[in-house]
Amino acid sequence: MTITCAPSGIVDTKNPKQGIAQIADAGFKRILLDLSLDNITPFLEQCRKKGVQIPVAYAPWLSGNEKDADLKESFIFLAEESIRVCRIAGGRYLVVCPLAEGIEKPDLWERNRKFYLSLVPVAREHGVQLLLTNQCRDYNGHLLRGVCADPYQAADWVDRLNEGAGEVCFGFCMDVGVCSLCGQNMYDFVLTLGDRLKAVILRDCDGNHEGALVPFTSAGQGQARTDWLNLIRGLRQIGFQGELIMDIRDTVNAFPFFLRPEALKLAKTIGDYFKWQIELEQILQKYPARVLFGAGNMCRNYMKCYGEKYPPLYTCDNDRSIWDTDFCGLKVRSPESLRELPGDCAIFICNIYYKEIREQLQGMGIKNPIEYFNDEYMPSFYFDRLEMK
Amino acid sequence: MEIGVQTKNVVDDLNPENGFAMLAQAGFSCGDFSLNAYLPNSSIYQARLNPFFNRSVQELEHFFLPHKQGAAKAGIRIHQMHMPYPVYVPGKDQELNDYLWNQVAPKSMEICHFFECPYIVLHGFKLVRYLGSEEAEWERTEAFIDSIAPMAKEMGIVICIENLYDNLGGHLVEGPCCDVRKAVNRIDRINEKYHGEVLGFCFDTGHANLVGLDFEEFITALGDRLKVFHIHDNDGIADLHQLPFTFSRSRDNKPSTDWEGFIRGLRNIHFNKTLSFETAPVLDAFPKEMKEDVLGWIARIGTYFSGAVGGEKRRKA
Repeated sequence: MTITCAPSGIVDTKNPKQGIAQIADAGFKRILLDLSLDNITPFLEQCRKKGVQIPVAYAPWLSGNEKDADLKESFIFLAEESIRVCRIAGGRYLVVCPLAEGIEKPDLWERNRKFYLSLVPVAREHGVQLLLTNQCRDYNGHLLRGVCADPYQAADWVDRLNEGAGEVCFGFCMDVGVCSLCGQNMYDFVLTLGDRLKAVILRDCDGNHEGALVPFTSAGQGQARTDWLNLIRGLRQIGFQGELIMDIRDTVNAFPFFLRPEALKLAKTIGDYFKWQIELEQILQKYPARVLFGAGNMCRNYMKCYGEKYPPLYTCDNDRSIWDTDFCGLKVRSPESLRELPGDCAIFICNIYYKEIREQLQGMGIKNPIEYFNDEYMPSFYFDRLEMK
Repeated sequence: MEIGVQTKNVVDDLNPENGFAMLAQAGFSCGDFSLNAYLPNSSIYQARLNPFFNRSVQELEHFFLPHKQGAAKAGIRIHQMHMPYPVYVPGKDQELNDYLWNQVAPKSMEICHFFECPYIVLHGFKLVRYLGSEEAEWERTEAFIDSIAPMAKEMGIVICIENLYDNLGGHLVEGPCCDVRKAVNRIDRINEKYHGEVLGFCFDTGHANLVGLDFEEFITALGDRLKVFHIHDNDGIADLHQLPFTFSRSRDNKPSTDWEGFIRGLRNIHFNKTLSFETAPVLDAFPKEMKEDVLGWIARIGTYFSGAVGGEKRRKA
């Protein structure tokens, strides 16, 4: 999985030098190409200079409300040009929103089918995969589920388009903001789309109004307002390997100019965090053997969700009073036992004192790989927590 | 089509006859009996239960006899009632959950039967966070349904599952029974299992509006499985249970709830049962002196919906 930054609102299209530099300096190595920009040449040049890759582009939004054939032709022309530019910029994926505005519901599929399939020859020629995306519909100011917001419909459209194309030309880009505005179960959304999902636009909002905030910043009652738990659960379960696109324009714009670089760094850290959480099972899978450090709730949650699939050899704990006891089916041992581990066995720290324990292990001269386990976004939870001393 | 409304805030235990008479006077012919008001959800969540359901079935029937007689006298048919909810509280004592499951639920069925009420609405379990998936959550709800379905079959009652929401930091998101495809399959499967209609659906317009569901598609997909309604409106943000057509989110002041889609959906399935409003909070919002006027206005909105749905039928004929 790779993390990509959406530049809208961060990069000045006429003078992109500073914005792209700030994005690159924050640690982003990939940037989305927004083809609704007036002039993309300076943007592409700056990306090249800073060594920032462009894996994915976003086609200009196309209204479906074309009344005459000429306009319809110009839509197709614009989309085809977007494919060409996407390829020139180095992109594999082009997000092309479904046509919806002005189209009666019964006509939606047929109109979109014709539109998307007309793009197949150019997409094929340039090796660009076209990604549909989920949309809201504005009902007198209230954002409701629109075209492709229903994951069954989205999956069906992608499959039928690929069937029509005779090859895999189409995939899906999930806009988390749209899912949140529609209060959707994101776990089900992700699982229904499965490997059709090639990109995810990660943005926060309050769930009622459009927004592109840094994840975890829209909160109330001490809780995030976006269902990150079910999003991470879903992406982890399907082993998501696509593009994680961070659309954070509102947060970054709200920050004073002087603080924007720090806001971008925070966004990058959060992107890395998502990557880590989503890939947690892949990290567990990476090692032929593993032991845990910690015999508390986090260890208990590990055993509940992953104990059978990735069984640890044992767990260890600094509390000598529980050495040589059993906990959740594991023998609890002294940290000294870790000195006897085979070299390819990883130690997963199952305790929130990650840094301290890592330092303890390093101080002991342990050379085994040290990884962090975390139970905040588990596939399931116990109804209770153990009271630990 | 008949028009109904919640009995809460209208029918009281001291003189239920008066409340039912007021409903009839306002233009309703059906009641949604608010059984859940006798064991409020807030007290269940706090595990502070009142002793109401400690009564025997005979005692409960005796308690509700004046209500039944009052409704009959006023010509109000108890069309649907709401089982107290939740019937399972995660992380609470097993004793509490056993009580809800083994006392409150079956006694609610008995009361429903006593009122000769054909539909009882229940809330599915909200356990996605713990169990990890909606399917695992549904398994628990289905186990609960299985515990009362034999009673439902014997009594001729249809249990209705309702589309619900959950709360994330004040943001209301999809809860149980918001996936219409799954709901349809589950209803059909369970009814087949019991060789009879024991399960149906209660479509809650307010909850659907909160999570942006497409009213027309949802209702059309449900078809005849749609048995009862909780009709009410909100701003798309909070579960306000207010009058339809009340909310607008744009300066042209058009309604922000898709009532047109609601009517189209009802037309699509040729709905001809009862349109019932879950609008008890409206009566809290208006001055008490206006209660009868407000009830009349709710009934009038119901008549409008009925006409709008039936009007199409007439045009087709």
